[in-house]
Amino acid sequence: MAELHIIGQIIGATGFPQNSLFCKWGVHAGGAWRLLSGLKEGQTQVDIPQTGDMAYWSHPIDLHYTTKGLQGWPKLHLQVWHQDSFGRCQLYGYGYIHVPSSPGQHRLQCVTWRPLGSWQDQLAEMFVGGGPQLRSPDLIYSGADRYRLHTVGMGTVELELCVILRHFDRYGVES
Amino acid sequence: MGDGWCTDTGESVYRSRDAVKNLRIRVRIQRVTSTAALSQHLHQQVLSHFHGVSDEFCFVIHMQYEMDLYQTESNCQTPLERQYHTEIMGMERSKRRQNQRIFTYTDFDRFSKWEEQAQSLLIPAQPTPTLLAELYLESRLITWEPSEEFIKNSHIINTPVQTMYIMGDLGPSGKLGLKENEYVLCTIKSDSNGVITIKPDFNNNRGAYRLETQGEKREVWRLYLENASSHIRAEEKEREQRMYRDLYTRHKEYLNSLVGQDFEMPPLGILRLIVNGEIVSAQGYEYDNLYVHFFLDLPNNWSSVPFHCLSGVTQTCRTHSEDVAFFSYPFSFETFFHKEDESDGSLPQWPVMFFKVLSLDFWQRYRTEGYGFLVIPSTPGYHRMTCHTWRPLQSGTVAELRRFFIGGAPELEDISYVRVPGTFKGERLSRFGFRTQTTGSVTFTLNCIQHARAFIDANTLKKRRQTVLDQLGGHSQQGSVYNVLEAFQRARKRMQEARETLPRDLINTS
Repeated sequence: MAELHIIGQIIGATGFPQNSLFCKWGVHAGGAWRLLSGLKEGQTQVDIPQTGDMAYWSHPIDLHYTTKGLQGWPKLHLQVWHQDSFGRCQLYGYGYIHVPSSPGQHRLQCVTWRPLGSWQDQLAEMFVGGGPQLRSPDLIYSGADRYRLHTVGMGTVELELCVILRHFDRYGVES
Repeated sequence: MGDGWCTDTGESVYRSRDAVKNLRIRVRIQRVTSTAALSQHLHQQVLSHFHGVSDEFCFVIHMQYEMDLYQTESNCQTPLERQYHTEIMGMERSKRRQNQRIFTYTDFDRFSKWEEQAQSLLIPAQPTPTLLAELYLESRLITWEPSEEFIKNSHIINTPVQTMYIMGDLGPSGKLGLKENEYVLCTIKSDSNGVITIKPDFNNNRGAYRLETQGEKREVWRLYLENASSHIRAEEKEREQRMYRDLYTRHKEYLNSLVGQDFEMPPLGILRLIVNGEIVSAQGYEYDNLYVHFFLDLPNNWSSVPFHCLSGVTQTCRTHSEDVAFFSYPFSFETFFHKEDESDGSLPQWPVMFFKVLSLDFWQRYRTEGYGFLVIPSTPGYHRMTCHTWRPLQSGTVAELRRFFIGGAPELEDISYVRVPGTFKGERLSRFGFRTQTTGSVTFTLNCIQHARAFIDANTLKKRRQTVLDQLGGHSQQGSVYNVLEAFQRARKRMQEARETLPRDLINTS
């Protein structure tokens, strides 16, 4: 079996309408993959930048996977939320990105989008906040139902991931 | 008195990997009176001894009033207090001499609770969910009614700390046991990470600490604190290190065993190509609410897993600043290449992904916004590529008016026309008369992985195959020459190995 180490951080997010943001993240892999150590999901702190637009989290990601096959390469899913001064949390975006398969250091930008409701919902959203959310973000992985969604693009989450592969070349995998 | 007092009563932090129950502190208090030479000397040693439960930091010394309190069984409320009761009864029976003046309190006592509560770091917020929040309660991500425990665990860095207060009863010698004469001599805090905080610190050849009593008779006492813990013996240290080493090797073996040896391999002579990618964004299109419809086209000799979906449609995305629509749509393909006809010397064709960008508006009209294609790269790794698109135009204004008002635009019947039509057989492709207009661009990120049994041999021989043909395991003339060379290398290696096993003198003479 081959091993994959993912060591990196969620640096921060930029390009969102408001700044007080936090991120819930998780890594999802196929059935042949097993997590040996590390936390595969988590939530960052709320960051309110004083200067500039980028909210910095620097949230560590340290995972050690072992696998019997190449299907179901790990994917990272992110949900960016906004917390306002009243303590309300509003969804600001979903984003999905594959973990890179080539070893080395990668600086990735994961774009995010947010579902839109009907025009009445959008009007209400302008005044009181809130907004529709996905019933279950897992439905998105299969991709089959995505076409029914109406969304709007939001900001970008920056990540830095270092990928270390072990024993993949022993099984003839080039990446 | 002439000697200097130590005025620095700040706390100091120690780190210890040992259990805190092995900590021993010698506390000495000495009343300062005018007759200094004959001063009353109260030298008492406070020792912490083991009290049943594992790493807990349980105290021993009870002050006089506590002894009276716990003697009557009805006063004991918590199990801990009942434990004290049995101890005290035991002590009474054995009639051991008790320390009269120095005693301790720890966390579980009725003393320390009020002080600890004043030390919480954050005031927890208790938002009550509003009507809006209740409406959007679809997500189970947020706990709307967090319990006190939950708040403490999420907001405050909650390392459990055990505290022990060494108290001194500094009343006049006739009147011991009064609560108002209790003074805190030393505070010891220990947490589960092995950090021990002692306030004030050990004297360590500095002057004594000065304690002044309140009340009618203001007396001055001297306080000395010494670390009386015993050092670890050499053999114990050795044993500990051996134990750690064993633990680490066993953990390593356990991890190795989890990893295992099997791995899914493609059949011999087949190259497996796995593409994990995302459609990231689309930019520069005329209308809003874009979506991308894509599929992967496999040329000859390429096959795919049955029931595996090679196409997809993204969600419809409204553009925001600078006409960018974000899709962040992950896809994953797995295809196999098997060269049937070895005599055919042409290079293999790599799969191509064709896509079209469409826009959908409020009245459900859709318009084609662009067609494009993307050739999957033949080198494995991470690729980020941007593809430009065009859309077909019909001559005359009628088509454009129609597109503007009611939607519907000329579409390609065969999307593979974008690159080389599937039905094309000739030598030169002519697109004369076909009019198009450039539209925006779509960005993709791809991670390509190539997997074949042939690569195993390549790596063991430490040779990097340069051409694509070689990567397929040598299905050409060049490949066959290479195969011969490889066979020669293998034979040579075997001969060398066989030679090594022979006794030395035999080789030298030959």
